[in-house]
Amino acid sequence: MGTINISKKYTAREKAYLPAILIGMKITLKRFIEGFLFRKSFTIMYPEQKRTYSDRFRGMHFITVDPTKTENCTACFLCETICPADCIHIVADEREEENNPYGVKKEKKPVSFDIDALRCCFCGFCEEACPKDAIKLSGNYELAVSSREEAIYDLDHLKRNMNGRQEKI
Amino acid sequence: MSNLHEHEIKKPKVDLNYSSDKKPVHSDPSPEAKPLPKVTIDGKAYEFKPGDTIMQVAERYKIHEEIPRYCYHPGMPIAGTCRMCTVEVEKAPKLMTSCSTPAGDGMIVHTRSEKVLKSRTGVMEFLLTNHPLDCPVCDKAGECELQDYNFEYGPALSNFKEEKRVYDDATTKKLSNDVTLNMNRCVHCERCVRFTDDVTKTNDLVMVNRGWHKELEATTEAGLTNEYQGCLTDFCPVGALTWNDFRFKKRSWFLSKKPSLCDGCSKGCNIEVHSDADIVYRYVPIHNEMVNGHWMCDSGRNSYHSYMNPLRVTSPLMKHNGELHATSIETLLTEVKAQLKNASTVQIVIGTDATREEAALLKEKVPALIGKNVAVSYFNGTNGVTTAADDKKLDNLLKMKDLTPNTRGVEEQGLAALANGEISADVVIYFRSGRAGIPKMKADQKIILWGVWSLEEIKSLPSKNILAVIAGHATIEKAGSYKNADGIVQKFHPAIVHRGGALSAHQVVGVWQSLT
Repeated sequence: MGTINISKKYTAREKAYLPAILIGMKITLKRFIEGFLFRKSFTIMYPEQKRTYSDRFRGMHFITVDPTKTENCTACFLCETICPADCIHIVADEREEENNPYGVKKEKKPVSFDIDALRCCFCGFCEEACPKDAIKLSGNYELAVSSREEAIYDLDHLKRNMNGRQEKI
Repeated sequence: MSNLHEHEIKKPKVDLNYSSDKKPVHSDPSPEAKPLPKVTIDGKAYEFKPGDTIMQVAERYKIHEEIPRYCYHPGMPIAGTCRMCTVEVEKAPKLMTSCSTPAGDGMIVHTRSEKVLKSRTGVMEFLLTNHPLDCPVCDKAGECELQDYNFEYGPALSNFKEEKRVYDDATTKKLSNDVTLNMNRCVHCERCVRFTDDVTKTNDLVMVNRGWHKELEATTEAGLTNEYQGCLTDFCPVGALTWNDFRFKKRSWFLSKKPSLCDGCSKGCNIEVHSDADIVYRYVPIHNEMVNGHWMCDSGRNSYHSYMNPLRVTSPLMKHNGELHATSIETLLTEVKAQLKNASTVQIVIGTDATREEAALLKEKVPALIGKNVAVSYFNGTNGVTTAADDKKLDNLLKMKDLTPNTRGVEEQGLAALANGEISADVVIYFRSGRAGIPKMKADQKIILWGVWSLEEIKSLPSKNILAVIAGHATIEKAGSYKNADGIVQKFHPAIVHRGGALSAHQVVGVWQSLT
């Protein structure tokens, strides 16, 4: 059996340990002086003060609506198909003719559209797969709930007024 | 010159085999005496019967899976209109449609040459000029021939920059209660028109106008009236015709597909059960030349609803304080045993929808377990049918008068039909798998029901003295065999797993035996 030795040889400087310890101590001292003498803060007062994340941050989903508050989703099941965590559950049906001014374009609708946020891994594949730009991921990262049931979001919740990540609030 | 003339005379007179369910027509008196002719397809020689088209030879030997086609269907006459199946035949000046060109001895055919592939790309581009990009809402997506062939042969880009044609009146048009037409998706293969012309012979559909404005319309104001409308939606290569019962219910790629038998009538059509998480969404016919060809009737197609009925009894029920309550099979059978012991006369009635194995079990094992002289008979009770001799064809295709699948198979057991269709004994065990009728009975008759029952059916029974209901498996949930109207024995295996508390007949008998 061939064995590959991948351990590297330490240099004299590394073997001595002391230079590395001194570098570490220098950083500790620098942060101590900044915080203690100049009162510089490294934490934020979270619920009052919020952290801004990058535009590419993927938070909780929402479903876009048109001006008449009809969801853009046509229940094509592509997000459910691609979802690696199996967290989207859709039941589809035909939209009633009297509520459908769009004709064939929106003849199929989701009767229920549930996202189990506990299973979701926020990969964003659903957003990519959606042919109607209906499901999007917002920048919302405040997802704490007090029970498992509350983390299953239904269509009414997903249709709430939200802004996408790239759109400025 | 004289040689050519001789050749003309010697040429055997052979008609084209329009569809695969017809045998080759030999006007040659001794076809067996000569060796079969050979056609070379993609560099390999294949034997064929005179009259076969290139498509049929390729189909039989499964050359490159299949030659792409839209208008050709093995169960219908050849049209040759879609131009998708064109192949290159050496010494022929142009590409030939493989569906309508008869194979000839020594013919050399290329199905995947550069010229052929270029032609198919062109055909696909033309078909897609007016096809809407609505795969996300189209029910055919996932099993669509336009999708599949475009993925394999089509161009990535289209040169068509103009506005697509839209049929304003026919985007969502109900052709009948069961079929919806979306004309925008149609590729004008006319399979549906030929089906109503030549298979059902009802002439329900017709293409009106020409070219760009060609539109499918029903010939009468009543719309589609034939009994085989579901087949239209099966073979429609695109999502133009969709089956309302399945429309928008499920995407096709989620469905698991298992073969089974339709038990809607004595024909025993071969079907594929499409289910997801053991919930059936539709039945689709599968090809069996001996039984149903390519087709299946609408009532058979809808028959899965009775098995997916939320009111179906899926756990053993026993009478307690005048009402039926769910219980365990052991408790139920102990009670049933006591009732049977006290009864002066006991009768077992087997519905003709029991499998041959179940009929044998009920005839041989169950009387021995009861330990009395038990009268065993069978009962049909559908459409006024009593014995298999009453069964007859209702149309020129598949529909039968007898609406149970196994009348012949149960008769095979040497049983007699229930006299006058009326049960007479003190306690009667009636086994039925959801299809046989209800025999005549008195209002206080003690009855033990066995098999597939729904609560509606139990409530509507004339007798109010139901001792117990032993829930059983439906055809799609059990294994067994049926003997159909033509005497063909067909075996089947479970297509879905029963998720309730029902047990197969063999399991129930096993528990019964363990109690004694």
